[in-house]
Amino acid sequence: MKTHRMIAAALVCAAPVLGAQSLVIRNATVVPVTGPRIPNATIVVQNGRIAAIGPNLPISSDATVIEGSGLFVYPGLIDSGTRLGLTEVGGVPGPDDTRELGEFNPQDVVLTAVNPSSEHIAITRANGITSAITSATGGLVSGIAALIDLAGWTPNDMAAKARAGMVVNWPSAAPPRGFGGFGFGPPRSPAERQAEYVRQVRDIYRYFDDARAYAEVKARATANGATLPTSFRIDLKMEALTPVVRGEMPVIVEASNAQQIRDALTFADSAKVRIVIRGGTEAWQLADALAAKRVPVVIAPLTSVPGGDEPYDAVYANPGVLSKAGVLIAFESGSASSARDLPYHAGLAEAFGLSGDDALKAITINPAKIWGVDKDYGSIEAGKVANLIVTTGDPIDIRSLIKEVIVRGQRMPFNDRHTRLYEQYRARPKPKP
Amino acid sequence: MNLNYLRTSACSGASGRNATGLVSRASRLSAAIGCAVFVAIGALPAQASQASGTLDPLSLPAPTAGTLVAITNATIMTASHGTIERGTILIRDGRIAEVGANVQVPPGARVIDGTGKFITPGIIDAHSHTAAEAINEGTQSVTSEVRIEDVLRQDGISLYRQLAGGTTTINILHGSANAIGGQNAVVKLRFGLPVDSLRFAGAPLGIKFALGENVRQTSRSNPSRYPRSRMGVEDLLRDAFTSAREYRARWKEYDGAKAVWDRAKRKSGPEPVPPRKDLELDALVEVLEGKRLVHWHSYRADEILMALGIAKEFGFRIATMQHALEGYKVADELAAAGTGASTFADFWGYKMEAWDAIPQNAALMAERGVLVTINSDSDERARRLYQEAAKTMRFGGASEESALRMITLNAALQLGIDKRVGSIDVGKDADLAIFNAHPFSPGARVEMTLIDGRVFFDRSTAPTLEWLIEQQKKKPRVTSEEGAR
Repeated sequence: MKTHRMIAAALVCAAPVLGAQSLVIRNATVVPVTGPRIPNATIVVQNGRIAAIGPNLPISSDATVIEGSGLFVYPGLIDSGTRLGLTEVGGVPGPDDTRELGEFNPQDVVLTAVNPSSEHIAITRANGITSAITSATGGLVSGIAALIDLAGWTPNDMAAKARAGMVVNWPSAAPPRGFGGFGFGPPRSPAERQAEYVRQVRDIYRYFDDARAYAEVKARATANGATLPTSFRIDLKMEALTPVVRGEMPVIVEASNAQQIRDALTFADSAKVRIVIRGGTEAWQLADALAAKRVPVVIAPLTSVPGGDEPYDAVYANPGVLSKAGVLIAFESGSASSARDLPYHAGLAEAFGLSGDDALKAITINPAKIWGVDKDYGSIEAGKVANLIVTTGDPIDIRSLIKEVIVRGQRMPFNDRHTRLYEQYRARPKPKP
Repeated sequence: MNLNYLRTSACSGASGRNATGLVSRASRLSAAIGCAVFVAIGALPAQASQASGTLDPLSLPAPTAGTLVAITNATIMTASHGTIERGTILIRDGRIAEVGANVQVPPGARVIDGTGKFITPGIIDAHSHTAAEAINEGTQSVTSEVRIEDVLRQDGISLYRQLAGGTTTINILHGSANAIGGQNAVVKLRFGLPVDSLRFAGAPLGIKFALGENVRQTSRSNPSRYPRSRMGVEDLLRDAFTSAREYRARWKEYDGAKAVWDRAKRKSGPEPVPPRKDLELDALVEVLEGKRLVHWHSYRADEILMALGIAKEFGFRIATMQHALEGYKVADELAAAGTGASTFADFWGYKMEAWDAIPQNAALMAERGVLVTINSDSDERARRLYQEAAKTMRFGGASEESALRMITLNAALQLGIDKRVGSIDVGKDADLAIFNAHPFSPGARVEMTLIDGRVFFDRSTAPTLEWLIEQQKKKPRVTSEEGAR
């Protein structure tokens, strides 16, 4: 019983209380990201949004005041690829919702499966990440990714954009990495892999052709307010792809190597869909093409090793090369349990050619642009959603401490699984010898 | 940084890079990487060019007497006695001869300008599986006779990449498939030299033990071995050490009888027959006698306590618990036993037994008096252990020096090689990592890595991505159609 009460109390604390009371951070150095830093600034938050920023703003007597002297305020960080809410403990199948069976599941809505009380949400948030794309994998088309804020009672509460993108796992003809290049299953020859690759790419083309045809037929059938004939069979998969072929929803193409990215660019032109490349480990080879086509790249965790014949710093230097070429870049943790490492991938990139400013943008305003929410997210500007972090320094610096995390204007508690265990065992009395 | 002299040596710099003709990127890369090794401080260009063929261990270009190198005007993070601003390290014959703010650079010394640079001891990875042809002999629960040393390989690129992350010494461990695994090998990353040259001469012997889900084969639908439970693991260990004790007693009995027989002028009866030599038990006897360090893979607090109990029962000290993700729950017990812990900075939740891992683990254990290191257990993480160490400051409130020690001096202490490596102190091997900025800051990267005073990695001559892109722009790749014309 006691445990149950503790859990209940924790849940109450963790969830935001929506209300009109205002929150003020004063005397802090504000780093808006989209403009120059503002020293000794005050930020007023009302109704979950940033009401005003500036020096010497009046503070209402009922406002909660966070003293920010000596501290910095950054926009909450945005992770452009996670499994948050979809998995809990690795290797334990019960809570795993990261993959569905079958090749084509565009109709699967990831938000449905997001567990708002996953331990990973509070842990990730405590390191300054306030929003994240969460998406499934498996098959060729694995469903609709969601942009969520990392607080809320229900999945719908958390949604910043419930339908942020359609995930397509671009197939690969390259030998699988890891396990000595064998991967799982029987080893296959390069010719076998190539044949399989061609078949799968052809399937993706056909699938999107079908979706376009479906959307056109349905549009014609319902033109001028006509009722859909009873003979028309609704296809939920095709319905799900309709906003994609209309260019209203981007395709998140999971593609790492140069061939995948090159072929995905050709596909985007041919199928006339908007794409975001995610993975992009070898995107440096196509930096100019990506920039010319204005295709953004979400860069996979920099904590991977390059291919055997690539420079030792190829993975680290890739973001800098892309950014300098004019590609809009963002980062992803690709994880649930390691999602809090997001800013440190940007830090690694900074060591190998990405400027500090661009590194910060790649986890704030750039993802907001990529996911079409830059009116509300990604920088500290009046009118935007008050997702803010108060820190002792640049969040990309591992040594910086996150002192406050504010999601939609609400101060978040730091009572996650890790801090609970830490406090519990730090207080353990010395055992008798 | 004045590194021009490096470019003049036989196979560094432009000559190695601008390979003639249309060689593949891979071969250009490997050519340039190979060269980096022989840009040895103290090795003259002529020696270096001779060294480009095969080398046996005995013809290693040893630092010659009188070789002097000075790294000047750098921020020196000693790991043992604080940080020295604008300091100089003087290297003589591959060892640190002097270190401090007022070191005179003797005439004739080669000077590396360290202005703006940060120098740390070469990073030591207390848990690695690099450079071994095989990791696990898991067909039986006790395989103390197998040796990583027998399956070392050059494993080229991975060693090089770890050097490029400032790592200089690694502890290559057997895997965690079984309760009593094989013997480890401590090596220096002398990349490019023959495999025998990797060995860290004089490093104490060690062995890998394991506990938990891997040993119990919980992820297998058809576990093939006893034990399947934690109770069974304890029984297996007690059984193995009981056998080792009996084996040792048989040998003692024989040694005594043999001595008597040898001393006797008149031999009465036959010469005593020695017990059958058992390589498996030999290694366990070495553990019992404190001659072999146990590095014990573990996750949960209960199994750590069980291991400490077995060690106490049989009278040996466990050198380290490896991973020890729940070490923070039993930190006092670890400290009291003099057992160190080698853990991840914040890797967690990847299986059930890693569910109570917390990123404050390292700092909390250290606070309670445990000798703590941060390890990689991965060819990937081994390239950026300096970042992982910084996380102990972020999440656990460790001091900067404490964090640095977790990847340097503490690892040397755990492996029993602290007289040779682990800090920047006079007399120790000149194993150093030179960073462009504070190693814990974003934007920090390794510029140069030295082992025994020799440069094994130098970013200024390394084939970087930036360099590769420049090459491609200068000399566009000829397509097959163009080639055919």
